[in-house]
Amino acid sequence: MPAEGAAPILEVRGLQKRYEGLLALAGIDFDVSRGEIFGVIGPNGAGKTTLFSCLVGAVRPTTGTIRFRGERIERLPGYAVVARGLVRTHQIVRPFREMTVEENVSIGAHFGSGRRRKEDADKRVGEILEKTSLSLRAGALAGTLTIGELKRLEIARALATEPEVLCLDEVMGGLNPSEIAEAMKLIRSIRDSGVTVLMIEHHVHAVTGVSDRILVLNFGQKIAEGTPSEVVKDPEVVSAYLGTEPVESNL
Amino acid sequence: MRRRARSLALGAASLALLLAAPSFLERGTLNDIWNVAFAVILASAWNLLGGFAGQISIGYSAFIGIGAYTTALLALKGVNPYATLPLAALLGAAFSFVVGLPTFRLRGPYFTIATIGVSEAVRVVATGVAFTGGSSGLRMPAGSFDFTRNYASMVILAVAVVSLSAWVKNSPFGRALAAIRQDIDAAESLGVHSARYKLLAHALSAAIVAVAGSLFAINFQYISPGSVFDFRLSLSIVLMPIVGGLGTVGGPVLGALLFGYLQIKLLSSPALRDSYLFIYGGMLIAVMLFEPKGLLGLFHRLRRAAGRAVSRPVPDAG
Repeated sequence: MPAEGAAPILEVRGLQKRYEGLLALAGIDFDVSRGEIFGVIGPNGAGKTTLFSCLVGAVRPTTGTIRFRGERIERLPGYAVVARGLVRTHQIVRPFREMTVEENVSIGAHFGSGRRRKEDADKRVGEILEKTSLSLRAGALAGTLTIGELKRLEIARALATEPEVLCLDEVMGGLNPSEIAEAMKLIRSIRDSGVTVLMIEHHVHAVTGVSDRILVLNFGQKIAEGTPSEVVKDPEVVSAYLGTEPVESNL
Repeated sequence: MRRRARSLALGAASLALLLAAPSFLERGTLNDIWNVAFAVILASAWNLLGGFAGQISIGYSAFIGIGAYTTALLALKGVNPYATLPLAALLGAAFSFVVGLPTFRLRGPYFTIATIGVSEAVRVVATGVAFTGGSSGLRMPAGSFDFTRNYASMVILAVAVVSLSAWVKNSPFGRALAAIRQDIDAAESLGVHSARYKLLAHALSAAIVAVAGSLFAINFQYISPGSVFDFRLSLSIVLMPIVGGLGTVGGPVLGALLFGYLQIKLLSSPALRDSYLFIYGGMLIAVMLFEPKGLLGLFHRLRRAAGRAVSRPVPDAG
Protein backbone atom coordinates (compact mmCIF):
# COMPACT_ATOMS: atom_id res chain seq x y z
CA MET A 1 0.00 0.00 0.00
CA PRO A 2 1.17 3.53 -0.71
CA ALA A 3 2.92 5.55 1.92
CA GLU A 4 0.65 8.02 3.68
CA GLY A 5 1.03 11.59 2.49
CA ALA A 6 3.06 10.83 -0.64
CA ALA A 7 1.95 12.77 -3.70
CA PRO A 8 -0.10 10.62 -6.11
CA ILE A 9 1.76 9.47 -9.22
CA LEU A 10 -1.34 10.08 -11.33
CA GLU A 11 -3.97 12.77 -10.72
CA VAL A 12 -7.02 12.95 -12.97
CA ARG A 13 -9.40 15.92 -12.66
CA GLY A 14 -12.64 16.62 -14.50
CA LEU A 15 -11.65 14.33 -17.37
CA GLN A 16 -14.21 14.53 -20.13
CA LYS A 17 -14.25 13.05 -23.62
CA ARG A 18 -17.06 13.84 -26.04
CA TYR A 19 -17.45 12.10 -29.42
CA GLU A 20 -20.03 14.01 -31.48
CA GLY A 21 -23.21 13.36 -29.47
CA LEU A 22 -21.72 10.73 -27.16
CA LEU A 23 -20.27 11.61 -23.79
CA ALA A 24 -17.76 8.76 -23.32
CA LEU A 25 -16.29 10.27 -20.15
CA ALA A 26 -18.45 12.71 -18.22
CA GLY A 27 -15.85 14.40 -16.02
CA ILE A 28 -13.93 11.96 -13.86
CA ASP A 29 -11.69 12.55 -10.84
CA PHE A 30 -9.35 10.06 -9.23
CA ASP A 31 -5.81 9.67 -7.94
CA VAL A 32 -3.48 6.71 -8.19
CA SER A 33 -0.71 6.28 -5.62
CA ARG A 34 2.74 5.01 -6.43
CA GLY A 35 2.98 1.24 -6.07
CA GLU A 36 -0.76 0.55 -6.18
CA ILE A 37 -2.65 -1.95 -8.25
CA PHE A 38 -5.64 0.15 -9.27
CA GLY A 39 -8.55 -1.69 -10.89
CA VAL A 40 -11.03 -0.09 -13.28
CA ILE A 41 -14.32 -1.92 -13.81
CA GLY A 42 -17.68 -1.16 -15.35
CA PRO A 43 -20.14 -2.50 -17.94
CA ASN A 44 -19.36 -2.45 -21.66
CA GLY A 45 -19.35 1.11 -22.98
CA ALA A 46 -18.71 2.60 -19.54
CA GLY A 47 -15.68 4.51 -20.87
CA LYS A 48 -12.88 2.36 -19.45
CA THR A 49 -10.82 2.05 -22.63
CA THR A 50 -11.46 5.69 -23.51
CA LEU A 51 -10.04 6.57 -20.10
CA PHE A 52 -6.85 4.61 -20.83
CA SER A 53 -6.59 6.15 -24.31
CA CYS A 54 -6.73 9.62 -22.74
CA LEU A 55 -4.13 8.72 -20.11
CA VAL A 56 -1.53 7.60 -22.67
CA GLY A 57 -2.13 10.36 -25.22
CA ALA A 58 -3.73 8.18 -27.89
CA VAL A 59 -6.90 10.29 -27.58
CA ARG A 60 -7.04 13.94 -26.57
CA PRO A 61 -9.59 14.67 -23.83
CA THR A 62 -12.25 17.30 -24.50
CA THR A 63 -11.63 18.92 -21.12
CA GLY A 64 -9.96 18.08 -17.85
CA THR A 65 -6.40 17.52 -16.69
CA ILE A 66 -4.11 14.54 -16.21
CA ARG A 67 -1.03 15.00 -14.06
CA PHE A 68 1.67 12.36 -14.14
CA ARG A 69 4.32 12.88 -11.44
CA GLY A 70 3.02 16.42 -11.16
CA GLU A 71 3.34 17.24 -14.88
CA ARG A 72 0.35 17.95 -17.12
CA ILE A 73 0.32 15.32 -19.90
CA GLU A 74 -3.17 15.47 -21.39
CA ARG A 75 -1.99 17.35 -24.51
CA LEU A 76 1.11 15.27 -25.17
CA PRO A 77 1.33 12.86 -28.13
CA GLY A 78 1.51 9.14 -27.31
CA TYR A 79 5.24 8.65 -27.85
CA ALA A 80 6.00 11.53 -25.47
CA VAL A 81 3.80 10.03 -22.76
CA VAL A 82 5.64 6.70 -23.11
CA ALA A 83 8.94 8.55 -22.84
CA ARG A 84 7.80 9.91 -19.45
CA GLY A 85 7.01 6.41 -18.19
CA LEU A 86 3.29 5.82 -18.73
CA VAL A 87 2.30 3.02 -21.12
CA ARG A 88 -0.73 0.88 -21.97
CA THR A 89 -1.52 -2.49 -23.49
CA HIS A 90 -4.28 -2.93 -26.05
CA GLN A 91 -7.49 -4.76 -25.27
CA ILE A 92 -7.56 -6.08 -28.83
CA VAL A 93 -3.97 -7.25 -29.15
CA ARG A 94 -1.88 -5.39 -31.71
CA PRO A 95 1.32 -7.37 -32.27
CA PHE A 96 3.67 -6.58 -35.14
CA ARG A 97 2.75 -9.83 -36.84
CA GLU A 98 5.66 -9.98 -39.28
CA MET A 99 8.20 -9.60 -36.47
CA THR A 100 9.37 -12.22 -34.04
CA VAL A 101 8.31 -12.08 -30.40
CA GLU A 102 11.78 -10.87 -29.48
CA GLU A 103 11.71 -8.09 -32.11
CA ASN A 104 8.28 -6.99 -30.89
CA VAL A 105 9.60 -6.59 -27.36
CA SER A 106 12.77 -4.86 -28.57
CA ILE A 107 10.65 -2.02 -30.00
CA GLY A 108 9.53 -1.18 -26.49
CA ALA A 109 13.07 -1.55 -25.12
CA HIS A 110 14.61 0.75 -27.73
CA PHE A 111 11.96 3.44 -27.96
CA GLY A 112 10.43 3.48 -24.49
CA SER A 113 11.26 5.73 -21.58
CA GLY A 114 15.04 5.29 -21.51
CA ARG A 115 17.50 6.02 -24.33
CA ARG A 116 19.88 3.13 -23.97
CA ARG A 117 22.60 1.21 -25.70
CA LYS A 118 21.69 -1.75 -27.87
CA GLU A 119 23.37 -4.28 -25.53
CA ASP A 120 21.37 -3.04 -22.53
CA ALA A 121 18.16 -3.14 -24.53
CA ASP A 122 18.87 -6.69 -25.71
CA LYS A 123 19.56 -7.78 -22.14
CA ARG A 124 16.34 -6.21 -20.93
CA VAL A 125 14.38 -7.96 -23.70
CA GLY A 126 15.75 -11.30 -22.50
CA GLU A 127 14.74 -10.61 -18.90
CA ILE A 128 11.23 -9.57 -19.87
CA LEU A 129 10.70 -12.59 -22.10
CA GLU A 130 11.71 -14.71 -19.12
CA LYS A 131 9.36 -12.88 -16.78
CA THR A 132 6.39 -13.16 -19.14
CA SER A 133 7.11 -16.83 -19.95
CA LEU A 134 7.77 -16.08 -23.62
CA SER A 135 11.43 -17.14 -23.77
CA LEU A 136 10.64 -20.35 -25.61
CA ARG A 137 8.70 -18.38 -28.24
CA ALA A 138 11.31 -15.63 -28.68
CA GLY A 139 12.05 -16.54 -32.29
CA ALA A 140 8.45 -17.23 -33.34
CA LEU A 141 6.61 -14.78 -35.58
CA ALA A 142 4.05 -12.90 -33.50
CA GLY A 143 1.37 -13.83 -36.03
CA THR A 144 1.68 -17.49 -34.96
CA LEU A 145 1.03 -17.03 -31.20
CA THR A 146 -1.99 -18.26 -29.23
CA ILE A 147 -4.29 -15.69 -27.60
CA GLY A 148 -2.72 -16.29 -24.19
CA GLU A 149 0.74 -15.71 -25.61
CA LEU A 150 -0.44 -12.60 -27.48
CA LYS A 151 -1.81 -11.14 -24.25
CA ARG A 152 1.53 -11.78 -22.56
CA LEU A 153 3.33 -10.23 -25.55
CA GLU A 154 1.25 -7.06 -25.07
CA ILE A 155 2.41 -6.94 -21.45
CA ALA A 156 6.01 -7.78 -22.38
CA ARG A 157 6.25 -4.99 -24.99
CA ALA A 158 4.77 -2.44 -22.60
CA LEU A 159 7.08 -3.55 -19.77
CA ALA A 160 10.07 -3.22 -22.09
CA THR A 161 9.45 0.54 -22.27
CA GLU A 162 10.43 0.66 -18.56
CA PRO A 163 7.22 2.31 -17.36
CA GLU A 164 6.49 3.75 -13.95
CA VAL A 165 2.79 3.28 -14.59
CA LEU A 166 1.51 0.33 -16.63
CA CYS A 167 -2.10 0.37 -17.85
CA LEU A 168 -3.39 -3.12 -18.62
CA ASP A 169 -6.54 -3.23 -20.74
CA GLU A 170 -8.28 -6.57 -20.21
CA VAL A 171 -5.21 -8.74 -20.37
CA MET A 172 -7.20 -11.66 -18.93
CA GLY A 173 -9.92 -11.64 -21.58
CA GLY A 174 -10.03 -14.98 -23.37
CA LEU A 175 -7.73 -16.74 -20.92
CA ASN A 176 -8.50 -20.05 -19.19
CA PRO A 177 -8.54 -20.30 -15.36
CA SER A 178 -4.94 -21.49 -15.02
CA GLU A 179 -3.76 -18.72 -17.38
CA ILE A 180 -5.72 -16.20 -15.29
CA ALA A 181 -3.95 -17.41 -12.14
CA GLU A 182 -0.62 -17.00 -13.95
CA ALA A 183 -1.59 -13.52 -15.10
CA MET A 184 -2.54 -12.47 -11.55
CA LYS A 185 0.83 -13.71 -10.33
CA LEU A 186 2.58 -11.78 -13.12
CA ILE A 187 0.70 -8.56 -12.30
CA ARG A 188 1.64 -8.84 -8.63
CA SER A 189 5.28 -9.41 -9.51
CA ILE A 190 5.24 -6.38 -11.82
CA ARG A 191 3.92 -4.26 -8.96
CA ASP A 192 6.50 -5.74 -6.59
CA SER A 193 9.23 -4.66 -9.03
CA GLY A 194 8.14 -1.04 -8.41
CA VAL A 195 5.68 -0.42 -11.25
CA THR A 196 2.29 1.10 -10.51
CA VAL A 197 -0.44 -0.90 -12.26
CA LEU A 198 -3.81 0.28 -13.57
CA MET A 199 -5.97 -2.54 -14.88
CA ILE A 200 -9.26 -2.72 -16.70
CA GLU A 201 -10.75 -6.13 -16.14
CA HIS A 202 -14.08 -7.83 -16.69
CA HIS A 203 -13.12 -10.84 -14.66
CA VAL A 204 -14.35 -9.60 -11.28
CA HIS A 205 -12.70 -12.22 -9.11
CA ALA A 206 -9.35 -11.51 -10.73
CA VAL A 207 -9.63 -7.74 -10.36
CA THR A 208 -10.89 -7.85 -6.78
CA GLY A 209 -8.21 -10.43 -6.02
CA VAL A 210 -5.23 -8.31 -7.04
CA SER A 211 -6.37 -4.67 -6.77
CA ASP A 212 -5.65 -2.42 -3.79
CA ARG A 213 -8.38 -0.03 -4.91
CA ILE A 214 -11.03 -0.11 -7.60
CA LEU A 215 -12.71 2.60 -9.67
CA VAL A 216 -16.16 1.77 -11.05
CA LEU A 217 -17.43 3.53 -14.16
CA ASN A 218 -20.91 3.51 -15.67
CA PHE A 219 -22.00 5.59 -18.68
CA GLY A 220 -18.82 7.65 -18.41
CA GLN A 221 -19.42 8.52 -14.74
CA LYS A 222 -17.55 7.40 -11.66
CA ILE A 223 -20.09 5.55 -9.53
CA ALA A 224 -17.75 4.19 -6.88
CA GLU A 225 -14.14 4.13 -5.75
CA GLY A 226 -12.57 2.24 -2.89
CA THR A 227 -11.14 -1.06 -1.72
CA PRO A 228 -12.45 -4.21 -3.41
CA SER A 229 -14.58 -5.15 -0.40
CA GLU A 230 -16.14 -1.67 -0.25
CA VAL A 231 -16.85 -1.57 -3.95
CA VAL A 232 -18.53 -4.96 -4.30
CA LYS A 233 -20.95 -4.07 -1.50
CA ASP A 234 -21.84 -0.67 -2.96
CA PRO A 235 -25.55 -0.83 -3.90
CA GLU A 236 -25.07 1.32 -7.00
CA VAL A 237 -22.26 -0.93 -8.24
CA VAL A 238 -24.31 -4.04 -7.59
CA SER A 239 -27.29 -2.78 -9.57
CA ALA A 240 -25.28 -1.28 -12.43
CA TYR A 241 -22.70 -3.96 -12.96
CA LEU A 242 -22.66 -6.96 -10.73
CA GLY A 243 -26.36 -7.75 -10.90
CA THR A 244 -28.70 -8.19 -7.97
CA GLU A 245 -27.16 -11.43 -6.68
CA PRO A 246 -24.28 -11.17 -4.20
CA VAL A 247 -21.02 -11.13 -6.11
CA GLU A 248 -19.57 -14.40 -4.78
CA SER A 249 -22.40 -16.57 -6.02
CA ASN A 250 -22.92 -14.65 -9.23
CA LEU A 251 -19.46 -15.03 -10.61
CA MET B 1 27.48 -12.80 -36.90
CA ARG B 2 28.53 -15.37 -39.49
CA ARG B 3 25.77 -14.10 -41.72
CA ARG B 4 27.03 -10.55 -41.37
CA ALA B 5 30.56 -11.65 -42.25
CA ARG B 6 29.23 -13.44 -45.32
CA SER B 7 27.29 -10.32 -46.43
CA LEU B 8 30.38 -8.16 -45.97
CA ALA B 9 32.49 -10.56 -48.00
CA LEU B 10 29.83 -10.70 -50.71
CA GLY B 11 29.63 -6.90 -50.85
CA ALA B 12 33.40 -6.44 -50.97
CA ALA B 13 33.80 -9.12 -53.64
CA SER B 14 31.09 -7.70 -55.88
CA LEU B 15 32.48 -4.20 -55.47
CA ALA B 16 36.00 -5.37 -56.38
CA LEU B 17 34.69 -7.24 -59.41
CA LEU B 18 32.60 -4.31 -60.60
CA LEU B 19 35.48 -1.86 -60.17
CA ALA B 20 37.82 -4.16 -62.08
CA ALA B 21 35.29 -4.72 -64.87
CA PRO B 22 36.44 -1.81 -67.11
CA SER B 23 39.75 -3.63 -67.68
CA PHE B 24 38.13 -6.68 -69.23
CA LEU B 25 34.60 -5.74 -70.37
CA GLU B 26 33.69 -3.66 -73.37
CA ARG B 27 32.06 -0.29 -73.15
CA GLY B 28 28.59 -1.47 -74.17
CA THR B 29 28.48 -3.99 -71.33
CA LEU B 30 29.81 -1.41 -68.89
CA ASN B 31 26.99 0.89 -69.98
CA ASP B 32 24.52 -1.86 -69.18
CA ILE B 33 26.09 -2.34 -65.74
CA TRP B 34 25.90 1.43 -65.22
CA ASN B 35 22.17 1.32 -66.01
CA VAL B 36 21.55 -1.56 -63.64
CA ALA B 37 23.59 0.11 -60.87
CA PHE B 38 21.53 3.29 -61.34
CA ALA B 39 18.35 1.20 -61.05
CA VAL B 40 19.68 -0.62 -57.95
CA ILE B 41 20.37 2.71 -56.23
CA LEU B 42 16.94 4.12 -57.02
CA ALA B 43 15.09 0.95 -56.01
CA SER B 44 17.06 0.32 -52.79
CA ALA B 45 16.88 3.95 -51.70
CA TRP B 46 13.14 4.14 -52.36
CA ASN B 47 12.70 0.89 -50.44
CA LEU B 48 14.13 2.50 -47.26
CA LEU B 49 10.93 4.52 -46.97
CA GLY B 50 8.48 2.71 -49.26
CA GLY B 51 9.45 -0.83 -48.30
CA PHE B 52 10.71 -0.66 -44.72
CA ALA B 53 8.29 2.01 -43.48
CA GLY B 54 5.47 1.33 -45.96
CA GLN B 55 5.21 4.97 -47.08
CA ILE B 56 4.63 4.81 -50.82
CA SER B 57 6.00 7.78 -52.75
CA ILE B 58 5.26 8.12 -56.46
CA GLY B 59 7.34 11.26 -56.85
CA TYR B 60 10.97 10.22 -56.65
CA SER B 61 11.84 11.70 -60.05
CA ALA B 62 11.77 15.04 -58.19
CA PHE B 63 14.90 14.01 -56.26
CA ILE B 64 16.66 12.73 -59.39
CA GLY B 65 15.91 16.07 -61.03
CA ILE B 66 17.03 18.12 -58.04
CA GLY B 67 20.36 16.28 -57.98
CA ALA B 68 20.82 16.49 -61.75
CA TYR B 69 20.01 20.21 -61.95
CA THR B 70 22.14 21.07 -58.90
CA THR B 71 25.14 19.43 -60.54
CA ALA B 72 24.51 20.80 -64.04
CA LEU B 73 23.92 24.39 -62.88
CA LEU B 74 27.03 24.43 -60.67
CA ALA B 75 29.17 22.71 -63.29
CA LEU B 76 28.19 25.46 -65.72
CA LYS B 77 29.54 27.94 -63.15
CA GLY B 78 32.86 26.12 -63.25
CA VAL B 79 32.52 23.84 -60.19
CA ASN B 80 33.91 20.30 -60.50
CA PRO B 81 30.74 18.20 -60.98
CA TYR B 82 31.81 15.60 -58.42
CA ALA B 83 32.30 18.33 -55.82
CA THR B 84 28.58 19.13 -56.15
CA LEU B 85 27.44 15.71 -54.89
CA PRO B 86 27.23 16.65 -51.17
CA LEU B 87 25.15 19.71 -51.98
CA ALA B 88 22.88 17.63 -54.23
CA ALA B 89 22.37 15.19 -51.36
CA LEU B 90 21.61 18.03 -48.96
CA LEU B 91 19.11 19.70 -51.30
CA GLY B 92 17.42 16.36 -52.00
CA ALA B 93 17.05 15.72 -48.26
CA ALA B 94 15.82 19.27 -47.65
CA PHE B 95 13.22 18.95 -50.38
CA SER B 96 11.95 15.68 -48.88
CA PHE B 97 10.63 17.72 -45.94
CA VAL B 98 8.38 19.74 -48.28
CA VAL B 99 6.15 16.70 -48.71
CA GLY B 100 6.94 14.88 -45.49
CA LEU B 101 6.42 17.60 -42.91
CA PRO B 102 2.78 18.39 -43.70
CA THR B 103 1.68 14.81 -44.50
CA PHE B 104 3.57 12.40 -42.21
CA ARG B 105 1.48 13.39 -39.20
CA LEU B 106 -1.67 12.31 -41.02
CA ARG B 107 -2.99 8.78 -41.33
CA GLY B 108 -4.07 7.56 -44.75
CA PRO B 109 -3.00 8.08 -48.35
CA TYR B 110 -2.18 11.79 -48.05
CA PHE B 111 1.57 11.32 -48.35
CA THR B 112 1.32 9.27 -51.55
CA ILE B 113 -1.09 11.72 -53.16
CA ALA B 114 1.09 14.68 -52.19
CA THR B 115 4.20 13.09 -53.72
CA ILE B 116 2.52 12.90 -57.12
CA GLY B 117 1.35 16.50 -56.95
CA VAL B 118 4.60 17.94 -55.70
CA SER B 119 6.80 16.10 -58.20
CA GLU B 120 4.60 17.23 -61.07
CA ALA B 121 4.74 20.79 -59.73
CA VAL B 122 8.54 20.60 -59.66
CA ARG B 123 8.59 19.41 -63.28
CA VAL B 124 6.30 22.26 -64.37
CA VAL B 125 8.44 24.82 -62.54
CA ALA B 126 11.67 23.42 -63.99
CA THR B 127 10.12 23.67 -67.44
CA GLY B 128 8.85 27.19 -66.89
CA VAL B 129 11.65 29.12 -65.21
CA ALA B 130 14.61 30.61 -67.08
CA PHE B 131 17.61 29.53 -64.99
CA THR B 132 16.98 25.82 -65.66
CA GLY B 133 17.01 26.39 -69.39
CA GLY B 134 13.28 25.61 -69.52
CA SER B 135 12.10 22.73 -71.65
CA SER B 136 15.24 22.77 -73.77
CA GLY B 137 17.27 21.70 -70.75
CA LEU B 138 20.91 22.10 -69.83
CA ARG B 139 24.10 20.83 -71.42
CA MET B 140 27.03 20.08 -69.12
CA PRO B 141 30.23 22.02 -69.86
CA ALA B 142 32.58 20.36 -72.32
CA GLY B 143 35.38 18.37 -70.72
CA SER B 144 33.37 17.33 -67.65
CA PHE B 145 32.89 13.80 -68.90
CA ASP B 146 34.91 10.79 -67.86
CA PHE B 147 33.03 7.50 -68.16
CA THR B 148 35.42 5.42 -66.06
CA ARG B 149 35.12 7.79 -63.14
CA ASN B 150 31.36 8.02 -63.47
CA TYR B 151 31.04 4.25 -63.76
CA ALA B 152 33.15 3.75 -60.62
CA SER B 153 31.11 6.33 -58.67
CA MET B 154 27.88 4.67 -59.70
CA VAL B 155 28.86 1.11 -58.72
CA ILE B 156 30.40 2.28 -55.43
CA LEU B 157 27.18 4.12 -54.61
CA ALA B 158 25.11 1.07 -55.56
CA VAL B 159 27.07 -1.27 -53.29
CA ALA B 160 27.06 1.36 -50.51
CA VAL B 161 23.27 1.80 -50.70
CA VAL B 162 22.60 -1.94 -50.59
CA SER B 163 24.95 -2.24 -47.58
CA LEU B 164 23.22 0.71 -45.91
CA SER B 165 19.89 -0.91 -46.55
CA ALA B 166 21.06 -4.18 -44.93
CA TRP B 167 22.39 -2.26 -41.94
CA VAL B 168 19.21 -0.20 -41.54
CA LYS B 169 17.00 -3.27 -41.71
CA ASN B 170 18.67 -4.84 -38.67
CA SER B 171 19.11 -1.64 -36.67
CA PRO B 172 16.71 -0.19 -34.11
CA PHE B 173 15.93 2.49 -36.72
CA GLY B 174 14.88 -0.25 -39.16
CA ARG B 175 12.78 -1.93 -36.46
CA ALA B 176 11.01 1.37 -35.84
CA LEU B 177 10.26 1.67 -39.57
CA ALA B 178 8.93 -1.91 -39.65
CA ALA B 179 6.76 -1.20 -36.61
CA ILE B 180 5.39 1.92 -38.33
CA ARG B 181 4.56 -0.12 -41.45
CA GLN B 182 2.84 -2.91 -39.54
CA ASP B 183 0.82 -0.91 -37.01
CA ILE B 184 1.57 2.77 -36.63
CA ASP B 185 -0.67 3.26 -33.57
CA ALA B 186 0.89 0.32 -31.74
CA ALA B 187 4.33 1.70 -32.64
CA GLU B 188 3.44 5.11 -31.16
CA SER B 189 2.03 3.46 -28.05
CA LEU B 190 5.47 1.89 -27.46
CA GLY B 191 7.27 5.20 -27.79
CA VAL B 192 8.13 5.33 -31.50
CA HIS B 193 7.99 8.93 -32.73
CA SER B 194 6.58 7.86 -36.10
CA ALA B 195 6.66 11.21 -37.88
CA ARG B 196 10.33 11.69 -36.97
CA TYR B 197 11.42 8.28 -38.27
CA LYS B 198 9.40 8.63 -41.46
CA LEU B 199 11.00 12.04 -42.10
CA LEU B 200 14.44 10.59 -41.43
CA ALA B 201 13.95 7.63 -43.80
CA HIS B 202 12.53 9.94 -46.47
CA ALA B 203 15.44 12.38 -46.16
CA LEU B 204 18.04 9.61 -46.27
CA SER B 205 16.53 8.02 -49.34
CA ALA B 206 16.00 11.38 -51.07
CA ALA B 207 19.64 12.34 -50.51
CA ILE B 208 20.82 9.09 -52.11
CA VAL B 209 18.50 9.46 -55.09
CA ALA B 210 19.63 13.07 -55.62
CA VAL B 211 23.26 11.91 -55.78
CA ALA B 212 22.26 9.28 -58.33
CA GLY B 213 20.60 12.10 -60.29
CA SER B 214 23.86 14.07 -60.21
CA LEU B 215 25.79 11.09 -61.57
CA PHE B 216 23.11 10.67 -64.22
CA ALA B 217 23.60 14.28 -65.35
CA ILE B 218 27.38 13.86 -65.46
CA ASN B 219 27.09 10.69 -67.52
CA PHE B 220 24.52 11.90 -70.04
CA GLN B 221 25.95 15.44 -70.24
CA TYR B 222 22.50 16.74 -71.06
CA ILE B 223 19.38 16.96 -68.90
CA SER B 224 15.89 18.30 -69.43
CA PRO B 225 12.68 18.23 -67.41
CA GLY B 226 11.47 15.51 -69.76
CA SER B 227 14.37 13.24 -68.93
CA VAL B 228 14.87 13.69 -65.17
CA PHE B 229 11.44 14.80 -63.94
CA ASP B 230 9.59 12.11 -65.91
CA PHE B 231 6.57 10.63 -64.11
CA ARG B 232 7.29 7.26 -65.76
CA LEU B 233 10.63 7.29 -63.99
CA SER B 234 8.84 7.73 -60.65
CA LEU B 235 6.61 4.78 -61.52
CA SER B 236 9.54 2.52 -62.45
CA ILE B 237 11.18 3.33 -59.12
CA VAL B 238 8.07 2.08 -57.30
CA LEU B 239 7.68 -1.02 -59.45
CA MET B 240 11.22 -2.37 -59.06
CA PRO B 241 11.04 -3.03 -55.28
CA ILE B 242 7.45 -4.27 -55.51
CA VAL B 243 8.26 -6.79 -58.24
CA GLY B 244 11.50 -7.80 -56.53
CA GLY B 245 10.21 -7.99 -52.96
CA LEU B 246 9.02 -5.01 -50.94
CA GLY B 247 10.73 -4.22 -47.64
CA THR B 248 13.61 -6.66 -48.13
CA VAL B 249 17.26 -5.93 -48.87
CA GLY B 250 17.56 -8.29 -51.85
CA GLY B 251 14.16 -7.59 -53.42
CA PRO B 252 14.90 -4.11 -54.81
CA VAL B 253 18.20 -5.41 -56.19
CA LEU B 254 16.45 -8.28 -57.95
CA GLY B 255 13.77 -5.94 -59.27
CA ALA B 256 16.41 -3.50 -60.49
CA LEU B 257 18.36 -6.27 -62.22
CA LEU B 258 15.21 -7.42 -64.00
CA PHE B 259 14.03 -3.93 -64.91
CA GLY B 260 17.50 -2.77 -65.90
CA TYR B 261 17.91 -5.77 -68.15
CA LEU B 262 14.40 -5.50 -69.60
CA GLN B 263 14.75 -1.80 -70.27
CA ILE B 264 18.01 -2.34 -72.11
CA LYS B 265 16.50 -5.16 -74.20
CA LEU B 266 13.19 -3.44 -74.83
CA LEU B 267 14.61 -0.04 -75.68
CA SER B 268 17.00 -1.58 -78.17
CA SER B 269 14.18 -3.35 -79.97
CA PRO B 270 12.16 -0.93 -82.13
CA ALA B 271 9.07 -3.14 -82.01
CA LEU B 272 8.99 -3.18 -78.20
CA ARG B 273 10.32 0.29 -77.47
CA ASP B 274 6.94 1.78 -76.65
CA SER B 275 5.51 -1.25 -74.93
CA TYR B 276 7.69 -1.45 -71.84
CA LEU B 277 5.10 0.19 -69.60
CA PHE B 278 2.63 -2.52 -70.62
CA ILE B 279 5.14 -5.15 -69.64
CA TYR B 280 5.84 -3.43 -66.30
CA GLY B 281 2.12 -3.17 -65.64
CA GLY B 282 1.67 -6.85 -66.46
CA MET B 283 4.44 -7.81 -64.06
CA LEU B 284 2.94 -5.65 -61.32
CA ILE B 285 -0.46 -7.33 -61.70
CA ALA B 286 1.16 -10.78 -61.72
CA VAL B 287 3.05 -10.01 -58.51
CA MET B 288 -0.02 -8.65 -56.73
CA LEU B 289 -2.10 -11.67 -57.74
CA PHE B 290 0.36 -14.51 -57.26
CA GLU B 291 3.26 -13.51 -55.03
CA PRO B 292 2.82 -10.30 -53.02
CA LYS B 293 6.31 -10.79 -51.60
CA GLY B 294 7.78 -10.46 -55.08
CA LEU B 295 10.52 -12.43 -56.81
CA LEU B 296 12.39 -12.87 -53.53
CA GLY B 297 9.26 -14.33 -51.92
CA LEU B 298 8.84 -16.66 -54.90
CA PHE B 299 12.47 -17.73 -54.54
CA HIS B 300 12.04 -18.50 -50.82
CA ARG B 301 8.84 -20.41 -51.53
CA LEU B 302 10.52 -22.53 -54.19
CA ARG B 303 13.46 -23.20 -51.90
CA ARG B 304 11.16 -24.30 -49.08
CA ALA B 305 9.25 -26.53 -51.48
CA ALA B 306 12.51 -28.05 -52.69
CA GLY B 307 13.64 -28.55 -49.08
CA ARG B 308 10.39 -30.33 -48.23
CA ALA B 309 10.69 -32.56 -51.28
CA VAL B 310 14.20 -33.58 -50.24
CA SER B 311 13.56 -34.03 -46.52
CA ARG B 312 10.16 -35.72 -46.85
CA PRO B 313 10.37 -38.94 -44.84
CA VAL B 314 10.10 -42.20 -46.70
CA PRO B 315 6.59 -43.63 -46.15
CA ASP B 316 6.59 -46.21 -43.46
CA ALA B 317 6.85 -49.62 -45.06
CA GLY B 318 5.24 -51.16 -42.21
